[in-house]
Amino acid sequence: MNSRDVYVYLDVVEGKISINSLSLITKARELAKILGGGVGAIIVGRDVKKLVKDVEEYDIDVIHIIDHPKLKDHDVISYSKAVSEILSKTRPEALLMISTALGKEIASRIAVRLRTAVATDCIDLYIDDYKDPVSGEVSEKTIHCIRYVFRGELSAVVASPRQRPFIATVRPGLYPAPQKIFGRKIEVKEWSIEVSEDDLMKTEVLEIQKIERKIDLSKAKVIVAGGRGAKAEGFKLIQELASLLKGEVGATRPAVDAGWTTPDRMIGLTGQTVKPDIYIAVGISGAPQHTIGMRDSKIIIAINKDPEAPIFKISDYGLVGDLFVILPKIIERLRQLKS
Amino acid sequence: MSLNIIVLVKSVPDPKTPPTLKVDGSLDLKNVKIVVNPIDKYAVEAALQLKERYGGKIIGLSLGDHDNIDIFREIIAMGVDSFIYIKDPDYQRFDTLQKSYVLSKAIKKIEKDLGRVDLVLCGVESSDTNMGVLASQIGEWLEIPSISYVDKILEIKNGSIIVKKIIEDGFITLRSRMPVVLSIADTGYEPRIPSLRDTIMARRREIPIWKTSDLGLEFREIVLKTVRFKQIESKRLGKIFRDEDVDKMIDRFFEELKRDGVSLLR
Ligand SMILES: Cc1cc2nc3c(=O)[nH]c(=O)nc-3n(C[C@H](O)[C@H](O)[C@H](O)COP(=O)(O)OP(=O)(O)OC[C@H]3O[C@@H](n4cnc5c(N)ncnc54)[C@H](O)[C@@H]3O)c2cc1C
Ligand SMILES: Nc1ncnc2c1ncn2[C@@H]1O[C@H](COP(=O)(O)O)[C@@H](O)[C@H]1O
Repeated sequence: MNSRDVYVYLDVVEGKISINSLSLITKARELAKILGGGVGAIIVGRDVKKLVKDVEEYDIDVIHIIDHPKLKDHDVISYSKAVSEILSKTRPEALLMISTALGKEIASRIAVRLRTAVATDCIDLYIDDYKDPVSGEVSEKTIHCIRYVFRGELSAVVASPRQRPFIATVRPGLYPAPQKIFGRKIEVKEWSIEVSEDDLMKTEVLEIQKIERKIDLSKAKVIVAGGRGAKAEGFKLIQELASLLKGEVGATRPAVDAGWTTPDRMIGLTGQTVKPDIYIAVGISGAPQHTIGMRDSKIIIAINKDPEAPIFKISDYGLVGDLFVILPKIIERLRQLKS
Repeated sequence: MSLNIIVLVKSVPDPKTPPTLKVDGSLDLKNVKIVVNPIDKYAVEAALQLKERYGGKIIGLSLGDHDNIDIFREIIAMGVDSFIYIKDPDYQRFDTLQKSYVLSKAIKKIEKDLGRVDLVLCGVESSDTNMGVLASQIGEWLEIPSISYVDKILEIKNGSIIVKKIIEDGFITLRSRMPVVLSIADTGYEPRIPSLRDTIMARRREIPIWKTSDLGLEFREIVLKTVRFKQIESKRLGKIFRDEDVDKMIDRFFEELKRDGVSLLR
C-alpha cells in the first residue's frame, strides 16, 4: 500500500456494517485504480473485531481496526480520535464516509485534527488534474468532489490538491454494492488507542427513539404529502385529496414529529424514497432532507403560501397561496370532474 | 444560574436569489443581496429561550468580508445583548478550517472578557456552502464537545445540558458537559419576529468590528479549493400560478394540466 490509497470508513450500525458504507468500496476501488493505490477500510468501535469476517470477501486490500471496550456509540470525540490515529499513521489519499449526521460530525473533527480538508454531502467523486489558478502549478490525478451548494441551485466541484487525506462524506445510495472476491486474503491491521475517561464523560446517551416504518409508499402512483404548514386540520384535507386520487398520504419530518400523521409516512432522508407519477406537496418548504426522497417523482405539484419556497424550484406546477383555501377548492373541482 | 451564550450568525447571499455564474464558472457576487443565513435564526431563538429560562447574556458573532453590518441588527432586535463582527478581506477564500479556527479564536477572546462561555450555538448549515461542519470543527479547536442537529434543548442542570438530537432513524437524547457547541436544526424552535420598537432600538446599537489579525491567525493554509460552480438545470416545467382570485388561479391550473395531458384522477 502506498500513499495514493483510498480508504473507506465502514459504519457499524446496531452491530452490523452498514450496507451504505459498503457501497463506498466500489467507488474507492474505481478511484484507487486510477491513482495506482489500494483500497483500505476502517472499522472502529466496541466489539467490532468479529465484523471483519463479514467484509473479508469484498474488494478491499487492508482493514484497519480499532476495537476498544470503552468506545460507545455517539461518542464523536473518541471516534474521531481513533480514525485520525489510523489516518495520520497511514496517510492515504482520501477517506470516504457515508453522510450521516454522525458521520459528518466525525469527518469534521478529523479534518481539524489532521489540518486537512473536508467536503460533506458529495454526490460524486472523480479524478482529474488540478491546476492552481494563481501559481499555475498542476497537481496530477487529484480527487475532485461534486456537491450541491446554495440549497441545490448550484453544484460545486472541490478538491484538496495538497493536503492528505481528503475527507469526503458521500450521500448514501449512489453506488452499487461492491464486488465479492472469493477466497481472497485481506490484511487486517489492529491498532490500539487510549480512550480517555475524560472524553467519555463529555457526552452520554440517555435515550434513543426510533421511527418505525410499516407502510411501503414506494409503489404508490399518487402521493399527497403534507408539511409543517398543513397542521392537523390540513392533514384531513390531504387525506381527503389522497383518497379521491386513489393515492397515499405522505409527510415531512416536522409533520410526523407533531403527530399529524404516522411516522411510516415520512418521506426523505429519514423516511422513504418515493417516485410516484404525481407528488403533491402541501405546506412543504422543500428542504434537501425532504426532497432527496421525492425529487425523482414524475410530476411534482406544490402548494405553498411563500412564492420563494425552494419546493417551487423543483415543481412542474405550483400554486401560491393558502392551502386551507386552495385544497378545498381543488377537492371540490375534482369531485365535479369525477361525477 | 446565569449562562454566557455565543450565537454564530453567518451572512450569506440571499438564498432566494442565489448568485449567477461568470463565464469561467466562478460566482458573480457583485449584485447579490447579503442577508443573515436564515437557519441561524433558529439558533438565536434557542439562545433567547435559554436566557429567558435561566438568565444570562447572549453575544452574536459573525465572520465575513463585507461592510453591511446593518443586516445583523435584525439579530440584535430579536434580543441578543451584543454583536461582534469579525472582518477579513481574505474571507472569500477561507475554507471551513479557517473559518472555524478564526471563530474559535474569537470565542476564546470573548471568554476572557466574560470569564466563561457556557454554550456556543450555531445553525446546522450555511445556505451558501451547505457544509454543516462548523459546530464540530469549533468543538475540536476548542477541545470541547459538540452536538449537531439539535431539535430542542431540554434542560440545563449542574453544568450539564440535555438535548434532543435528530438522527436518521429518529431522535436521540444526549447529556453533555458544558461548555458545548450545539448546532440547532429548524425543527424544534420558531424564530421570533422582532417588534417595531426593538427594531428601531437596534438601529442605534454599536457593532464592534474585529480583525482576524488581532486574533492571531497562525494558520493560513487553505486546503479545500473550489474548482468551479455549475448551474443545476431544472428539468421541471416550473409553471407557477399566482392570483389574488383563487378560483381563477385554480382554473388556470386545471387548464394547464389538461393542455399538458396530465390527469390527476385515475
Ligand atoms: C438528520 C436529519 C434527517 C432529516 N430527515 C428528514 C426526512 O426524512 N424528511 C423530512 O421531510 N425532513 C427531514 N429532516 C428535516 C428537514 O431538515 C426539514 O426541517 C423539513 O423537511 C422541513 O419540513 P416542512 O417543509 O414540513 O417544514 P417547513 O420548512 O417549516 O415548511 C413549511 C412550509 O409551509 C408553508 N406554509 C405554512 N402555512 C401555510 C399555509 N397556510 N398554506 C400554504 N403554505 C403554508 C410555509 O411557507 C413553508 O414553506 C431531517 C433533518 C435532519 C437533520
Ligand atoms: N462566517 C461565519 N460566521 C459566523 N458563523 C458562521 C460562519 N460560517 C458558519 N457559521 C455558523 O455555522 C453554521 C454551520 O455552517 P457550515 O458548517 O458552514 O454549514 C451556520 O449555520 C452558522 O451558524
